[in-house]
Amino acid sequence: MVLVAPPVAQRQGGGDAAERVLRVVDGRAPAGGVLELLRADGLARVPSWGGLAGGLRAWLEDAAYSAVRARGEKSPPLVLGARQLLGPAAVVYEAARSAGRRDGAGAPEPEPPRDDVVLARLVRALFRQIVTVGTLDDPLHDACDALRVDGAGSAAMLQRIESLTPAARHALRETLGRHASRLLDLVPRPQPDWRPRTAERVAIPLAGGRVVLHGVFDLLVDVPEGAGRARGALALSTDDAWGRTRRSLHYLALLETLRSGAPPFRLAQVDSSSGRFGAEDVREEHLRVMTAHACAWLAGASWGTAVGSA
Amino acid sequence: MPDALTDVLVAPPCPAEPAAWAAAREAARALLTTPAAAGTRPEDGRFRVTEHDIRTAMDDGSAAANEVGGVFAWTARTARRPLGLAAVRALVAGAAATPVEAVRSRVAESSRLVHGGSHRASPLDGWLAGLSPAGRAAVGAEAVTWCTRLWTGVDWDALGTHLVIGRDHWWDSPQSALLALRGRAEVRTDRAHLVLLFGPRRASVRAELGLVLLVEALRTRDDAVPARVVGWWPDSGHLARVEAEPAVLTLAAEAVTRVLAHGARVPGGTEVQPAA
Repeated sequence: MVLVAPPVAQRQGGGDAAERVLRVVDGRAPAGGVLELLRADGLARVPSWGGLAGGLRAWLEDAAYSAVRARGEKSPPLVLGARQLLGPAAVVYEAARSAGRRDGAGAPEPEPPRDDVVLARLVRALFRQIVTVGTLDDPLHDACDALRVDGAGSAAMLQRIESLTPAARHALRETLGRHASRLLDLVPRPQPDWRPRTAERVAIPLAGGRVVLHGVFDLLVDVPEGAGRARGALALSTDDAWGRTRRSLHYLALLETLRSGAPPFRLAQVDSSSGRFGAEDVREEHLRVMTAHACAWLAGASWGTAVGSA
Repeated sequence: MPDALTDVLVAPPCPAEPAAWAAAREAARALLTTPAAAGTRPEDGRFRVTEHDIRTAMDDGSAAANEVGGVFAWTARTARRPLGLAAVRALVAGAAATPVEAVRSRVAESSRLVHGGSHRASPLDGWLAGLSPAGRAAVGAEAVTWCTRLWTGVDWDALGTHLVIGRDHWWDSPQSALLALRGRAEVRTDRAHLVLLFGPRRASVRAELGLVLLVEALRTRDDAVPARVVGWWPDSGHLARVEAEPAVLTLAAEAVTRVLAHGARVPGGTEVQPAA
């Protein structure tokens, strides 16, 4: 079995290409922070997206039905996020294997969350607090309190944190403090009339729900613009994975197009490990490339072979 | 998305043929008030049949359908709906200008009620007031997202002024104090009941929405035909529309009997799984 990234993904890869089209800022933030980049002031014109969503959906539906035929009607739904669709081959393979199991049968015991996953989760909790109330007290304490109200969903994460040695806990506190400090500098609390909402999920069922494309916007805003509003999105990364985060945003823009008929007009990203941030306007090309990538993934032999042999 | 949803909510009604509707309603009533339905294992306690019970009873085996269930506890996820609905009510009434402000006001009210010793303080208020500021912020963030989706998903001006937001309707069996059905809808107008749906698209949705119609039909004291029920998945923008048709009543009544046959007992009469 050979797992090969679809051709579209190979053409898209590379952080350099991303930086050529992104307005990237290193170091100093503008007065309004990264949110200033989500204002529609600099936008020459809001493109018309009429008809595009229907065409992209039809394209994806064809690929999804082909995938369902290949996997069999009785197979459980194939639920695909950016991590599976855009991730490395190992992740793609594991997604395909997981999709081949029913009700977790034969699944390995869950492993404790990795350190980078714990950090990302904590930073996201702080990000939500900053966007919602604009202030932090003790970053580690605040983030853990946020996880506690998640209930069982975050129990493993909290258990992992509580089991840290004092030295490891101190190191986590220091690291988290640096991330929090950068976020406080870069992300001011959005004005309430921007309708900011965090962790907004979007899930697009295809082939009658047998394939589901899903993702989560870290932040969506509807910025007042003339008589209407312009929707902007922001993604947070915690490990300086700039190119990957950018492609995830394109994927989310595609999902939003399928959901509401139009993508966010602008995508911003901020990295809390480096303080780097930037923004770009969404172009039709982004959506077409991402659709082609998803279709290639669904049609490709990679997951089909993996499921067949799992 | 807002236009498509609002269009369905304000579309002219498609009235069912009165005689057929009345016959279906009486058949449903008869089915639910038979000794078999009304007296199902009364020693087990009270039956409260909700859309969640129907979803569980008609589980199609998908992994997502198996995720729901378990003992109820307040979390950011379970609190988002009551907080979000209170915020939407404030927005519609003009008491708040934005979802952020509406949710903040509702959360602050919880603290006031609890610390002031008010008898109006609910268990949710008690839970919220006991959280740290960071915990309250996390709950508030979840509620803001929930509220904003509903608030921006509908053209409220087009719905008219006769709105009921976030009120569940119950039908209590006249034959047995043990049986009650719940019809959940986030927004009710003269023409439609709007139900927010989460999770995957599933075969049970028509029966879940049919339960809302069934409760309305059983509660009414005249022959009025209830408004349509519109299910909306904010995650995907998909709509599911159920008109008041005799076949839907039959489907829902049969789904309830299926739940009763499975034994959807709710210990102590408490709610196991509120809507997310």
